[in-house]
Amino acid sequence: MSLLSEVWQAVKALGTGMATVHKRVYEDAPTEFYPYVQPDLPAVSVQSLALVENEDGSERCIVCLQCERACPAQVITIERHRNPEGKGFLIDRFDIDLVNCMYCAACVEACPVSSIVTIQDFEMSTYDLHTLKADIDFLHEQSRRSRRWYSPKFGVEIRTDDGKIVKAPPEMQPGGLAELLKPAEEEVDQ
Amino acid sequence: MSTISVDPVPGRSDEMVVNMGPQHPATHGVLRVVIGLEGERITRAVPHIGYLHRNHEKIEEARTYFQVVPYTDRMDYVSGTQNELPVVLAVEDLLGVEVPQRAKQIRTIFFELFRIASHLVWMGTAMLDLGAITPFLYTFWDREIILGIVERTAGARMLPNYYTFGGVRRDVHPEFFKDVADFLDHMQRRMPDYEHLVLENPIVHARTKGVGVLSKERAIARGVTGPVLRASGVAYDVRKAFPYDAYPDVEFEVPTSSDGDTYARFWVRFQEIYQACKIIRQLLEQTPKTGPYKGKVSPRLKISGERYRAVENSRGELGVYVVGDGSDRPYRIKHRGAAFTNLQVIPDLFIGAKFSDAIAILSSLDPVFGEIDR
Ligand code: SF4
Ligand code: SF4
Repeated sequence: MSLLSEVWQAVKALGTGMATVHKRVYEDAPTEFYPYVQPDLPAVSVQSLALVENEDGSERCIVCLQCERACPAQVITIERHRNPEGKGFLIDRFDIDLVNCMYCAACVEACPVSSIVTIQDFEMSTYDLHTLKADIDFLHEQSRRSRRWYSPKFGVEIRTDDGKIVKAPPEMQPGGLAELLKPAEEEVDQ
Repeated sequence: MSTISVDPVPGRSDEMVVNMGPQHPATHGVLRVVIGLEGERITRAVPHIGYLHRNHEKIEEARTYFQVVPYTDRMDYVSGTQNELPVVLAVEDLLGVEVPQRAKQIRTIFFELFRIASHLVWMGTAMLDLGAITPFLYTFWDREIILGIVERTAGARMLPNYYTFGGVRRDVHPEFFKDVADFLDHMQRRMPDYEHLVLENPIVHARTKGVGVLSKERAIARGVTGPVLRASGVAYDVRKAFPYDAYPDVEFEVPTSSDGDTYARFWVRFQEIYQACKIIRQLLEQTPKTGPYKGKVSPRLKISGERYRAVENSRGELGVYVVGDGSDRPYRIKHRGAAFTNLQVIPDLFIGAKFSDAIAILSSLDPVFGEIDR
């Protein structure tokens, strides 16, 4: 008797398992065909960092060192000197150690002019870690290659085919950008 | 590395000493347990930890308060934003910041989403330990949806660095509430499948019922919290005992079981997924679609005083003790890890059990080594 009921239990369990698994056979597979189909990452996704230049090729960064101060991993190294003609500073060195960077985007949040931005280029795997010790040319190149980037101050910006930098249409923007702009102005006042 | 003897007990030459881990696939990371075996019975069990030690507390002393938050993410890496909350709450208390109600609600939605994500990972890996591969594939499929929702708002999937002092870093994505509602409907369809595959599975019953019984007294004495404690019949939940964020405004139950065995711990985690869905559903109705998401906090905050704040994360009471000395950096930060404390019951549960039961018991404790080793 108990043997019979045990066999029945086992058959029932097998049946339930098979039925449950069988239901999923007809669902869409969640597999991503990555190297063949590029994933569509959200615009705020932090995959790498880039340093944006203005459209005319001049530097957006005003070398205020805010990003260096904000970085928790302390991987940003900036050296600067005073601009001999005019005001402000010029960059001597702008290095980010992308190996030890933890992609927390604290630097992007700290930047007052949205010069350092997050991009969605994640294909950075390499056999030689030294290729990821990014200097200023590397960071500029990252921004030139990318069509779209995000910073909290300006939201998503796109590079058009003829090299213009424009703000992305509202439907591409993440939430709360209008409110984001307000506290940004207040902070400058303080 | 260790000086703890692995020699057989003198006079017990029939005892065999086995190293389980640190590279054993069933130890959920890098746990090493030195196990003494007599036949198939475990006579000794000494857990060794520290293979993933990264010196969190000392590093955080050298960082400003804003810089501490992304580090805490790296502790319990399967439950993301949950780790940030103790530090954020403690600093908010010390500063006396007013947090907008909407920010609290968003934080709680994320908190519960990560609880579901963490329990899904547990379900998959626990079943993997018991020899079933299929649930693992299904749970990760569902977890992927949560991580996608998180990425759209917070910018990262597992380590989002999303909470900040006074609220959250940025407003949620315009479709966030719809995404979450869709996910909850999806979960509602999925949960019966998981019940069939896990809770009603006769193999799971045979492997877990009556195995690794943790008595109520022993659980309290060892200081375990979370699902492990509630499975032993103690209805202690930080969300109820010391409510934080939006928990006072929502209704939910604290599922407990009096059995204290491995199956009870499985069952409690299942019920917690249902409760988390219930909490999120209430919050989706309560949360305004637009509004403030961040209180005003000076970027150059300075703190003096000390504070202990705890939250109920997926594994139990995750606390932090912050001491500020009036500068912009903490003088001392001490994390109280839930998984670390829950690991203390290993000798109690392992000794006397069969070796293959040890695997089932360990997976029911749901350790995460990022948090245990810190
Ligand atoms: S993303 Fe974070 S760790 Fe990386 S450079 Fe910026 S602030 Fe530093
Ligand atoms: S915060 Fe922005 S502007 Fe300032 S140094 Fe960094 S990248 Fe340049």
